[in-house]
Amino acid sequence: MPLHLAPQIDPTLRSALDETVLMTQLADALGSPLGVILPQQLADNVAAFRSVFSGHRLSGQIYYAHKANRSSALVRELAATDAGIDVASLAELQHALGAGFVPQRIMATGPKNEEFLWLCARTGVTVSADSVGELATLAALVTDWSLPPVRVMARLSGFTSTGVQLGSRRSRFGVSAAAVSEVLDTIAKHAAALDLVGVAFHLDTIGLPEKAVALEGCLGALDECRRRGLRPWSVDIGGGFGVNYLADGTQWEQYTSALTEAVLGRRAPLTWNGHGYGLRAEGGHVRGALNLYPAHRPVSGPAYLDRLLRTTSPEQRRPLGTLLLDNMYDLHVEPGRALLDQCGLVLASVLEVRDEANGDTIVRLDCNARDVSLEEHGVLMDPVVVHRTTPAAPGPAGVYLFGNLCLEADLITRRQVFLPSRPRPGDLLAFVNTAGYLMDFSATHALRQPIGRKVALYRDDGAWRWCLDEQYWPVHHRAEAP
Amino acid sequence: MRFESMTDAIGNTPLVRIDSAVHGLRNIDLYAKMELLNPFGSLKDRAAWNMARPLLAQAVERGDTVVELSSGNTAKALAVIAGMHGLTFKSVTNRMKVAEIKDLLLLLGAQIDELPGQAECLDPTDTDDPLTRMYHRLAGSGGGYLHTDQYFNELNVDAHLNGTGPEIVKDLDGRAPDYFIACVGTAGSSTGVASALRQHNPDVRVVGLVAHKSDFIPGIRTIDEVHEVGLFDPDVYDTVETITADDAIDGLLTLVRRCGTLAGPTGGGAYQGAVRHLRAIDAQLTERRTAVFIVCDRVESYMSYLRERRPELFGRPPRRNSVRTVTDADVRQAVTVDVAEAERWIAERRGLVVDLRSPFAYQALHIDGSINIVDELFAELLHGGLPFGRRQPVLLVCPVGEKSARYAALLTRMGHPDVRSLDGGIIAWRDAGAELVRD
Repeated sequence: MPLHLAPQIDPTLRSALDETVLMTQLADALGSPLGVILPQQLADNVAAFRSVFSGHRLSGQIYYAHKANRSSALVRELAATDAGIDVASLAELQHALGAGFVPQRIMATGPKNEEFLWLCARTGVTVSADSVGELATLAALVTDWSLPPVRVMARLSGFTSTGVQLGSRRSRFGVSAAAVSEVLDTIAKHAAALDLVGVAFHLDTIGLPEKAVALEGCLGALDECRRRGLRPWSVDIGGGFGVNYLADGTQWEQYTSALTEAVLGRRAPLTWNGHGYGLRAEGGHVRGALNLYPAHRPVSGPAYLDRLLRTTSPEQRRPLGTLLLDNMYDLHVEPGRALLDQCGLVLASVLEVRDEANGDTIVRLDCNARDVSLEEHGVLMDPVVVHRTTPAAPGPAGVYLFGNLCLEADLITRRQVFLPSRPRPGDLLAFVNTAGYLMDFSATHALRQPIGRKVALYRDDGAWRWCLDEQYWPVHHRAEAP
Repeated sequence: MRFESMTDAIGNTPLVRIDSAVHGLRNIDLYAKMELLNPFGSLKDRAAWNMARPLLAQAVERGDTVVELSSGNTAKALAVIAGMHGLTFKSVTNRMKVAEIKDLLLLLGAQIDELPGQAECLDPTDTDDPLTRMYHRLAGSGGGYLHTDQYFNELNVDAHLNGTGPEIVKDLDGRAPDYFIACVGTAGSSTGVASALRQHNPDVRVVGLVAHKSDFIPGIRTIDEVHEVGLFDPDVYDTVETITADDAIDGLLTLVRRCGTLAGPTGGGAYQGAVRHLRAIDAQLTERRTAVFIVCDRVESYMSYLRERRPELFGRPPRRNSVRTVTDADVRQAVTVDVAEAERWIAERRGLVVDLRSPFAYQALHIDGSINIVDELFAELLHGGLPFGRRQPVLLVCPVGEKSARYAALLTRMGHPDVRSLDGGIIAWRDAGAELVRD
């Protein structure tokens, strides 16, 4: 039985995908791979997060984590909403400013060099500082250049729990929550340069208990601020809200069960060279851990945020959302993947379809594993076949997808993918819902292969229209009246 | 019965017939092995004691910590045994899912280490399972640990091969049952009992029960998870069947309500799985057969689990003066005052200001002169009646003026003539620049 992992496709993305003539024309004209961005979907996603805020009566900002996609169309469309943007490099900051974000709507995060800090300070964006050293560097820049005080957030990490010792992966970012007094000493020392507006954390986990401990730890740190007479009013809980990639949870369960059996040798391998996605067999038992994104995530995105805010805090035993509200704190979030849910797809041309002697079928694509980085991010999700003509052989085809790099490891998927029908050279594969991290995060010019172009596809006057990503602005030029 | 130690009371549990009027099988005698009657409350007492006993003398000498990867009954039994020998017990767990067991372990003096949740961004180098992580931790800590290793320790199986299994045979007058049904957790009990029974009768049919993949049943593993268990050998079972959390709870209810057996969900699952499996066979039978299933542990530790899945089982009559009964129309009738008016009202010391926010938030910053009764506590007080006199004017304060308006409406309905709510709450108060103090 074919093991499908059918993607979740919402109506807007489905309607774009149904424009098969347009899709093939675009790929023919602009080459393969081609990123297709649906900027207007982003506004809907912002609204969904916003409604969770209002449901909890919370104020605060939704900062889109720009690193999830390099697209200009997305950033410009976002500038037209009430959301903010989280920039993690000098170029991302320049991009955001150029797209129309005023500095009050920009948060600078991540590792920063002096130029990045200078532009933050000069324009007045909020700096989420990773270390005491970064605060000192920033303060020196503000003083040396006689700039107005900069709004800063202090990123904390290494929160400790009481009673049950809740383990958390060590993070390379942030100041230990136990050392918050060092941060406050630094702020006090540079009071004319730094204006502390809140504290922040981001934990790379889908676990709610760890986030509850961290959020409560932030409340403790803010209380220490108030004790010292500072008045920061916000908590930034970062991102990691996740996306539900798959339409059917049963398929995900069947697939992962089958993978376990395949690793144990109880059924034919499902993967290239018996790759186990983190699982391995030792003495008839499975060892290791399934190293995949939980592609079927019924509680993800805004619903995950809602669940987190309803989670009871471990010490104060009140829902986290209620505690934030009680304390009059603004809540900031930095979703990347979750805000780009259903916001785009990657088209790739089929170059060759061949059957190997051992029965495997190979589909070679004109793109590589860095253009559609499903494997790198552990997302298992089937592509959709865009046929140019009626498929010759209807019925599912189990295939391996090879990339265009001269490299053994360049497989778009290391598992056998069951396509609904067998493609032919010239057909397209559409990798849907790939706008968040899976489109151009890792794209490179290795082997001088081109990085795929991007187009923005948008609804205007009741029809789909398109332009190059860099040409897109939220102001649409109406078609002339006939 | 006189014992020198509670550990002597482990084992020799009764085998009790389940009334055929309850299970409805006509040709099968169904017996329950009452492992819930072990002194620390479960089947795991046997394995815990069998695994720890040979190592205890040395561990006591060195002052080792007893360690196990468990979030349930094995941890509980080991925590008790460690405590009896003056040792510390540490439970390393993926996620403690049942709140009562977590609390009980803390009460027993155990340390609980929870491992981190799955990463949201994939880190391809992170391929360790919890067991491997725990081994690294033990290796890195330079000894001082007694690790019972329940998923791989043959002494786990041995406890049932030489205890539980032969006891069943003895109680059935030297005959093995025709069917043995067990839930698969560490696979220790099912493997041990099955081997013991087959020594008497190689034709015993053994049914293993695993949890439905998307379900969580405490103490039972899913079909994928059993493959991670060192003691799991698929050849032990003639068939492996799936049960859902709903099945387990249905079975639990039958056992607790009709069979005088205060079983937890694993026992409930075993009963339900047994009856389901046997019902088809029963219809074809012309002669009598015997079947045995295991009641692993007790119901008391699973109240939160049951409350979450079957809230209707805990239905209570509505309490009077509940804020939930306040309608939107009631709220619209409630008196509200804006920040400026509230400031005047407070300056003139006209009445009592009640801040309904959490104590932590109140202590950080509040309106000068207000008192703090957190909303949950205020709701509790109101069930009993008005906590202040009718002639005492009151101003209620909450974060955004929503809860305070509901409580103002409720107080009005309860007959208080002089209550008002701060419109926009303390956030509006702050935004208007009104004074907040910290004392």
